[in-house]
Amino acid sequence: MNKTASIILTLALVVGIGIVFIGGSKSKDSANSVSGQSAQNVEIKDGVQYITIDAKAGYSPKVSTAKAGIQTKLIVKTNGTYDCSASLVIRSLGYQKILPQTGEDTIDIGTPTAGQPLQGVCGMGMYNFLINFS
Amino acid sequence: MKTYTFHVTGTHCASCKILIEDVLNDQSFIAKSQVNLKKETVTIETESDKDAEEIAQLLTSKIKPNGYTLSIEKIVQEKKSDDVIWKAIPIGLVFLILFFILQKSGILNLGIGGATTPATSFIIGLIASVSSCLAIVGGLVLSLSAKVAQDDGGSTKKPFILFHAGRLIGFALLGGLLGLIGKALGINFLFSAILGLIASAVMILLGLNLLGVFKKSKLTLPTHIFSFFRKVEHATFAPILIGVGTFFLPCGFTQSMQVAALSSGSFMSGLLIMFSFALGTLPMLALLSFGSVSFAHSKHAPLFFKSAGVVVIGLGIFAFLAGLAGIGIINPLFNI
Repeated sequence: MNKTASIILTLALVVGIGIVFIGGSKSKDSANSVSGQSAQNVEIKDGVQYITIDAKAGYSPKVSTAKAGIQTKLIVKTNGTYDCSASLVIRSLGYQKILPQTGEDTIDIGTPTAGQPLQGVCGMGMYNFLINFS
Repeated sequence: MKTYTFHVTGTHCASCKILIEDVLNDQSFIAKSQVNLKKETVTIETESDKDAEEIAQLLTSKIKPNGYTLSIEKIVQEKKSDDVIWKAIPIGLVFLILFFILQKSGILNLGIGGATTPATSFIIGLIASVSSCLAIVGGLVLSLSAKVAQDDGGSTKKPFILFHAGRLIGFALLGGLLGLIGKALGINFLFSAILGLIASAVMILLGLNLLGVFKKSKLTLPTHIFSFFRKVEHATFAPILIGVGTFFLPCGFTQSMQVAALSSGSFMSGLLIMFSFALGTLPMLALLSFGSVSFAHSKHAPLFFKSAGVVVIGLGIFAFLAGLAGIGIINPLFNI
């Protein structure tokens, strides 16, 4: 194979990897912001704010927005989840647990302050979610 | 006592020095041998009365199985390796792209509900073996296998059989132990994360070595690292230990199965769950390791080793960055 052709092909493939990583996650984000941001996963019941995150092959919605200054609980739902998203780590809370394959785990996150987002990652670090408080 | 210096071909790595010296020192008529990797020469001291030509032929016959040749005249090798790397990089990148597209496609997110039985854990093992866990477990298997096959010229399958046997038996016994002990035992996140970082560092290192970076830049790793890998190749214990060690590597599927084994309540049920899971991952991992051996025999061996190097470096970097994010050192970069 011609060396120049190979170099060009290599560059094209590197761009391809970039599209797979960045392009893909962008479209996921925008899809979430349409369905997820409309506060479907955040509800306030009896003065307590509940944020629901689905954990299966990643976390959904990836980015959520919730209210600050109110007692808040995070509900992580699994449904036949065997992949990395079942081993959840929330650094700022010192929370780490391998979630049951199917079920719900309720995590008390106290009273969040505005501008201090909450980030969760899976044990291997390839999936994550973010909750902004405002 | 006479001293001869021969030219040697086929020395592609630091461990070759140890290997050649070992073989030559085993010959009864050789008092001492010294390999110079930089000059690609072998100097021997011998009590034999044979002439240089005969000795070169005799010794070549001993080290030929490992891919080395001794000669009096320097054999000028065609400089082909530079072209191989330019073929290997695109091939490696194509595999990486296919792997990440597969992860993104969502094909692997089959819903498996209900109780965890040996049958479902076998299926989960099959899925896990092509999932993102392949980045770390498969990458490690590929890099070690390719390295062993490259050094050995693909002459032995023993370390691979030992590795897979160690993995199957280790998973079964540790799974049984989890079932027996129950909730008392937790698998430490940080421990498995650090183990994952070490594994990805080894992958990157071996990947660079497969590409021949260390040789080209005259940058050689300390010999004791290579003697460690040489021990891995020839010893019985090390491949088994690495096989068992994969139990603790960070992989969401493995961890989920460990929890299932933990809550299964008995030694036998925990054993069956983890054993069937390991059995499910076996086809893919066996393909990677025994594939490396058969490629080492073919004429495409240099291309295979360099492509494998590219794939392993890519997976290693991915696993390393993800692992750093997992223990909170850097912000997560990926969300595949």
